[in-house]
Amino acid sequence: MISIILRPFQSYKYLLLQLTQREIKSRYKQSFVGYAWVILNPLAQLLVYSFVFSVVFRFPTHDIPYIIFLYAGLLPWGLFQGSISAATQSLVENAPLIRKVNFPREIIPYSVVLAKIVDFLVSALIFIGFMIAFRVPFSSTTIYLVPLFFSQLLLTIGISLILSAGNLFYRDIQYLANLLLMLWMYMTPVVYPLSLVPTQYVWFYKLNPMVGILEGYRSALFNYPFEWTIISWSLAISCLVFLIGFFVFKKSDKIFADIA
Amino acid sequence: MNTPIHIPAIRFDRVSKSYYLQEDRTFKDVIPSLLLGKPWAKKHIVFHDLNFSIAQGETVGIVGKNGAGKSTMLKLIAGVTYPNTGSVVVQGRVAPLIELGAGFHHELSGYENIFLNAAILGMHKKEIELKIDEIIKFSELEEFIHVPVKRYSSGMHMRLGFSVAIHVDVPILLIDEVLAVGDRDFQQKCLNKLQELKQNKQKTIVFVSHNEEAVRSFCDRAILLEHGKIIEDGNPKRVFERYNKA
Repeated sequence: MISIILRPFQSYKYLLLQLTQREIKSRYKQSFVGYAWVILNPLAQLLVYSFVFSVVFRFPTHDIPYIIFLYAGLLPWGLFQGSISAATQSLVENAPLIRKVNFPREIIPYSVVLAKIVDFLVSALIFIGFMIAFRVPFSSTTIYLVPLFFSQLLLTIGISLILSAGNLFYRDIQYLANLLLMLWMYMTPVVYPLSLVPTQYVWFYKLNPMVGILEGYRSALFNYPFEWTIISWSLAISCLVFLIGFFVFKKSDKIFADIA
Repeated sequence: MNTPIHIPAIRFDRVSKSYYLQEDRTFKDVIPSLLLGKPWAKKHIVFHDLNFSIAQGETVGIVGKNGAGKSTMLKLIAGVTYPNTGSVVVQGRVAPLIELGAGFHHELSGYENIFLNAAILGMHKKEIELKIDEIIKFSELEEFIHVPVKRYSSGMHMRLGFSVAIHVDVPILLIDEVLAVGDRDFQQKCLNKLQELKQNKQKTIVFVSHNEEAVRSFCDRAILLEHGKIIEDGNPKRVFERYNKA
């Protein structure tokens, strides 16, 4: 089982790398500012949200400036949403390849997610600049970002595998996915703090695995206390979703070429 | 005749393959037709109990009308699709000569696409770097190699694709009709290259073509398919006599 899961990263490493490069390179070819869109896009989003939610609505975010609070949630959420949305369409877009050549099919959605991670890391550099500019101290708990990020990736890949395979059968999946992702964002403390959620609903609200992950990021960055119960819940759900996703994908990938 | 007596490179053993053809692709179409009691998909049988084998180093032409099952046969050999019953056993890696554009990304340059395409066919970085000059030279695209392939003509696409596939070091090569696109000179050059590969007996080549001349001059053996059944197998000349009569 483990060896099947790791196969794309061993025997097919170079193919994965090439497909990831293709994703990154092709997206901004024949555009004037090119790769800078990767930074400009989240920055513009950030400005709009921070105007609406710190000038108009004024969310309380303790001692952290709202824009930093927001960026810490918006950036990983953007990775989550962007990855799933792009990965969902990836198998359909690569149908000619699937019909012709034999390789582990999960490499296609993986390459999409990897390309999004590269974009994310570039935007994360800007975030560090913001942290410094707003004099937010770096805490030693920052190291916890790593396992949290890993948990987010497992969740992302699990969902991407299921949706990309489903989209080969019915194209409705890609539209449905985008709609649900938008709803999901407002069910997650991305633009507002968790403290605004009414206490009687909080336990229900926290079942969403992205709550634990995003709250975990903020705890790690801003040295807030960690809520280990919801973080562990998120990690468990992420692992489960990945395993289910991988299993479903591998069960169905033998007929991809017949229906693509 | 120089039929090598090794273990077969490709073996089809009682292979049956059918597809489900979905006419309705969206929920909106599917749900009413399910309510009306229509089956969710139509079954289309391509092969029923198909048996044959291809020896190592053999060059075999697959001949037949549209819909006879030629492409499905190649897909089964390439391992992208699987038989419903029976087994397909293939010894060694397979490189399909990818149809136009399939492995390419139109925004990337010819050069970048060589690496991409070769990686898809299972080559590693070092291997590609070693062969890149040879690949470019064979494609005759030196001048245009850094131009995005969306600016290429279909002939140029084919030349690039063929050039990559021919340089992949695999024991089994699948060629599906793509030769039809290049001009006469390049077609001849490809056939010469294939002839060269054939000479040193290293490769098993499966060749799907409607081009009688190409199959007769190049293949040791031809298989005539009709509605998923092998109705003639052997000397290309004889096979084409039967095909032309039908």
